[in-house]
Amino acid sequence: MVKIEIIAVPGCGKCASVQGELRAVAVSLLGEGNVAWREVNVLEEIDYAVSLGVLGMPAMAVNGELKFSSLPTPDQFRALLAGLDVG
Amino acid sequence: MYTIGKVATLAGVSPDTLRYYEKERLIAPASKTAAGYRLYGEDALRRVRFIKTAQHCGFSLSDIQELLKLRQADGACCEDVRSLAIQKKLTIEHKVKALQAMSSALDELIRGCDGGKAETDDCSILTSLETSLREASR
Repeated sequence: MVKIEIIAVPGCGKCASVQGELRAVAVSLLGEGNVAWREVNVLEEIDYAVSLGVLGMPAMAVNGELKFSSLPTPDQFRALLAGLDVG
Repeated sequence: MYTIGKVATLAGVSPDTLRYYEKERLIAPASKTAAGYRLYGEDALRRVRFIKTAQHCGFSLSDIQELLKLRQADGACCEDVRSLAIQKKLTIEHKVKALQAMSSALDELIRGCDGGKAETDDCSILTSLETSLREASR
């Protein structure tokens, strides 16, 4: 199971449109059952965001590690997922 | 119209600060006297108070320039300003966490030291710092 978290401010229009596309990339590459997708509201979980090292938003963490400080392009995301050791 | 000294007094900053704000294009005098002294309007006084309040919330002068630009930008909305404030809060929370780590490190040093009249060569705080230095340089 790959845990993918989008750390953002609720109501971020930019995030909503890109997120759907990124999620589709994850599902097509890993399969629906292997993706745990979560949106992290930075205002509710600021300690968690800080512990990840988030300084800008929207950011993306994969398996609890900050991977992108702004949302990646589908190609960048695909490359990251392809390099993951999903066991 | 106010002189630079008057604005400084009313806003609680120094005249040098106002000149610096002018250099950073945060404020501008409305006009100058025949002798070349700056004269400011009410808007400049409001602007200086805005800057001071924003600084109090942790915004740097470059952040404030961005806030002011957003205020004047046609396509900008309140959400843009809110995002900037949230980013600033994140930065501050990072600093708070770093300071807490420093405070905990100091707690540990203080706990391990009895103080007193012992020679500084025997001071556990200095020894710990020396040891850490040696380990870090390995």
